[in-house]
Amino acid sequence: MKLGLAIDLDTCVGCHACAVACKEWNGQSLMGGAPDYDAWGKAPSGTWYNRIRHYELEGDPTYSPHRCGSHADTAGHEPLSKTINVPMSCMHCEEAHCVTVCPTGASYKRAEDGIVLVDPSRCMGCNYCAWACPYGARELDQDAGVMKKCTLCVDRIYDEQLAEADRQPACVLACPTHARHFGDYDDPQSKVSLLAASRGTQSMLDDLGYKPTNAYLSPRKPVEVKTELPLRQGLSDKAKAFVNRLIQL
Amino acid sequence: MNPALSVIFFTVSSGAGLGLLVWLLIASLMADHIRMDATTFYKGAAIAAALITAGLISSTLHLANRKNAIYALTRIRTSWLAREGLLALLLYPLAALHLYALQSGLPQVTPVTLWLLIADAIAVLYCTGMIYGCLRTIPRWNTWMTPVKYVLFGLMSGAVLLPAVLSLRPPEVGPVGKPMVAILLLALGLVLYLAYLLKHPRKQHTINDALGFLQGNVRLLDVGHSHGTFLTNEFGFSVARVKARLLRWIAIFCAFILPMMLCYFTKWFWIASLICVIGLLVERWLFFAEAEHVVRLYHGQQRV
Repeated sequence: MKLGLAIDLDTCVGCHACAVACKEWNGQSLMGGAPDYDAWGKAPSGTWYNRIRHYELEGDPTYSPHRCGSHADTAGHEPLSKTINVPMSCMHCEEAHCVTVCPTGASYKRAEDGIVLVDPSRCMGCNYCAWACPYGARELDQDAGVMKKCTLCVDRIYDEQLAEADRQPACVLACPTHARHFGDYDDPQSKVSLLAASRGTQSMLDDLGYKPTNAYLSPRKPVEVKTELPLRQGLSDKAKAFVNRLIQL
Repeated sequence: MNPALSVIFFTVSSGAGLGLLVWLLIASLMADHIRMDATTFYKGAAIAAALITAGLISSTLHLANRKNAIYALTRIRTSWLAREGLLALLLYPLAALHLYALQSGLPQVTPVTLWLLIADAIAVLYCTGMIYGCLRTIPRWNTWMTPVKYVLFGLMSGAVLLPAVLSLRPPEVGPVGKPMVAILLLALGLVLYLAYLLKHPRKQHTINDALGFLQGNVRLLDVGHSHGTFLTNEFGFSVARVKARLLRWIAIFCAFILPMMLCYFTKWFWIASLICVIGLLVERWLFFAEAEHVVRLYHGQQRV
């Protein structure tokens, strides 16, 4: 098995619910512990397994609002193409360099499902694995002095006490827009494999050779809007063109 | 990268100690050329051992969970850090064996332990360099120059320390000659350092590669946290360009040029060693402070 997440960059609204749910579940779980530091003070910080960052994309013709009929301003500036919210947690890479650099053997990748975990009883808190991770997935638990990271909720997904629908990572269950999906990438018929194949995925620092398992589904391209009437006009064509002209005003 | 003082001190101090150990052992082989009595040899060995041990102890100071440090010797098949730790600890039984063989006069054993010690010391320096050199996430470190730099700078600072140790000989032996090996290594070190500054890989990855939007401009809108995180503390460190330039000149002068001149024109070998070590500390601080981790791309930096 190759368990991982598929994260939809189109529907993610950047609400941070996945990170909060992650913190809530892993703050107290057996594998976890995600303490906050100075939580009510002037400089609150903490250990998070999942962080959401927000980016602006500009001048990318694939996602250009030109396709929807808007234009560059008088100074020639392209309109803002897109805002993208990117939740990032452990990618559970196939070539997990964080595991190979670990001197103690605390970091390991499970052969059975590919989940990358840290054994807190062996970790000496040298931060070397965090240096080796390009995606910023690992953060030190400063209270326990050991490295912490996304466990893919390994203490949920195999728990037979839970209803089958609940055997998913907490972030996936919490996502209000269903932008997060969990499944087995080794199974070509699984939901995540089908989504990744049909939607296309973003390559994130692939040239480093880590082969991340998690997939970021590319945003859907805007539908091109035509304001000219087609040659053979039906009533619906006329109505559409009329509405489109209205919008363009 | 956050320049952690414990690691900076460790790499410089252990490096100088290992270099001194290598040159001391080689000098003990060349009795025809370098007259060194047993007391001076042991004094030098004690200085080397003190430098190495102080460095190794310092290297454990940045560990957040020191009680598990013993496991750090278990993954020598994959981890350069584990290899370095094991080989560094191997120095102590080897040195004890060598001393025992010297004391009890075992001429069959001493060459074996001597060459093993030299090989081990150089291997430790190489492993220390590879700890940083193997990280693909930090393009500035991920070059063959990094381990070569660690080995060369260690041997270089040790070679400057050797004439200082030799100056401890009893006065009837006479003064120390010009330490040509030290001067040669300082010159080589300078060439390598300048080559590293001019040729090291820089700015290979862009924020577009990081997010997979290869066309158009990508910029950070909001980083999602209000204050520092582990990631910004560890990887967010930036050094002002003017300060870096000043420190680079200090490193070039103190680590290479001044010791070279002191070794050639004067007999102030202790001062030369001290200045060289200070220069290397500055160089090592810059090595960490100027290294940029690719995770900075996700925090909005355009190129790393």
